[in-house]
Amino acid sequence: MATKTRPLRLYSKRFYHSYDHPAPGGPFPAIETSILRVSTPHIPTHGFTNTSLSLGAQDAGYLPASTNLFPRGAFSLVHYYLYTQRLALAAHTNITAADAVGENGYVMGVGGKVRALVWERLMANKAVVHRWQEALALMAQPSNIPTSLKELAALSDEIWFLAGDKSVDSSWYTKRASLSTIYAATELFMTTDKSADFIDTREFLDRRLGDVKVVGGAVGSVSQWVGFTAHAGINVLRSKGVRI
Amino acid sequence: MSILATQRRSLIVSHTLYDFLAPSLVQTIRTSRVRQCRRCLSSTSNAPAAVASDASPNSSKPKKPLSAIQREFLNRALRVNQAGELAATLIYATQTPPIVNSHPHLRPLMKHMYDQEAGHFGTFNELLAKHRVRPTAMYPVWTFAASTLGWGTAIMGREAAMACTEAVETAIGGHYDEQVRELVNMVDEMERQGEEVGEELRELTGTIRRIRDEELEHLDHAVDNDAKEAKPYELLTGVIKAGCKSAIWISERV
Ligand SMILES: [Fe+2]
Ligand SMILES: [Fe+2]
Repeated sequence: MATKTRPLRLYSKRFYHSYDHPAPGGPFPAIETSILRVSTPHIPTHGFTNTSLSLGAQDAGYLPASTNLFPRGAFSLVHYYLYTQRLALAAHTNITAADAVGENGYVMGVGGKVRALVWERLMANKAVVHRWQEALALMAQPSNIPTSLKELAALSDEIWFLAGDKSVDSSWYTKRASLSTIYAATELFMTTDKSADFIDTREFLDRRLGDVKVVGGAVGSVSQWVGFTAHAGINVLRSKGVRI
Repeated sequence: MSILATQRRSLIVSHTLYDFLAPSLVQTIRTSRVRQCRRCLSSTSNAPAAVASDASPNSSKPKKPLSAIQREFLNRALRVNQAGELAATLIYATQTPPIVNSHPHLRPLMKHMYDQEAGHFGTFNELLAKHRVRPTAMYPVWTFAASTLGWGTAIMGREAAMACTEAVETAIGGHYDEQVRELVNMVDEMERQGEEVGEELRELTGTIRRIRDEELEHLDHAVDNDAKEAKPYELLTGVIKAGCKSAIWISERV
């Protein structure tokens, strides 16, 4: 029941972000966190599997059977990985700073920062990219889809926020929806990319971003369109002598 | 006192209805004492990092994470306020040309009210972006509805336009009033528990209080300009007030 309703609440769970009061805790309790943290280094070798989890439990000083703390099994590891990688983006202050300079030597705009942050997030997957399809398969399981989608939405929200985007009209939605789509597609593309330094992935990403003009900063806004249409309509009527 | 209690209860009821993702919260608000305990619990078990960042250089009082209830309240409050101010700017913007056309002496008043609304709208736009609150998904709908309402009442004449202002500002003023009371309660409660309230919440309370007063000033202007003479006054203001209430209800949630 709860699972069914979750996708509808993709954006509602993110509450008021306070600067005076510390943020509330993440989705993982303390013991789980201590196990998940040390399970992560096992991913490149053992993948997003219960093996990595029980090795982590041992490393943390628990019985290997402690993996029963994770009713969602290996998906917990995927979720933890997604969550920590999302939060790690904030550390890229060289990108998020107001006067951050891009590769071309110019101060980066919001679009440039979005591109740079997406790239950093993708590059964080480098060490586990050979196991990523495993993670994707877990994310795509019906019971895991709500969490996976919520993480994806939270990632694009984080990227727009860190990039300094301040728009709070309906482009808020179109921006997040298009970035989620682009990110998911590029991440999938990356799992099959054999080019040096993932050059092909980079080109793929740039093409997708170009398609929706994220870099140009002109992601379509429904309200702009509505406003424009209304004004145009009124002007037409006025030009016909209607006194409005 | 009893009014406060009722309002508090109604806020709680709305949470029990809509916050089905966190049913455990429903019990936590029975008494504030329980809520406090919940908050301590979650801050120690789930967020070691958050506790570590409590240390504030110029204060000895503990700073705790805001509870889920408090954050949800602030989240909804900012979202609905932005939606309301969006509508207000559009109502005045679309009313101004027809009204000023036939009543040039109202130009300064219309401009003054529009400018204040634009200021309110800007304030909430900034607050939404800063506190990472999503705007209402109904944004395009409100844009259309408010423009239609402003323009429609304006072509009905000065009295109808002013009746529209009166109805809207009454609904909005009451809504802000309720929010101020909630915020004051929240701050009082935190002080009673010996928690650090922080400038953020005090400033927000002050901002909303100031904006509420400006809305009530608009209400006076409307009445001064014969809002009550509009025909059919009761029907017009009744419909608009009901519309505002529905819009507030929807914007808090959607
Ligand atoms: Fe206003
Ligand atoms: Fe107003």
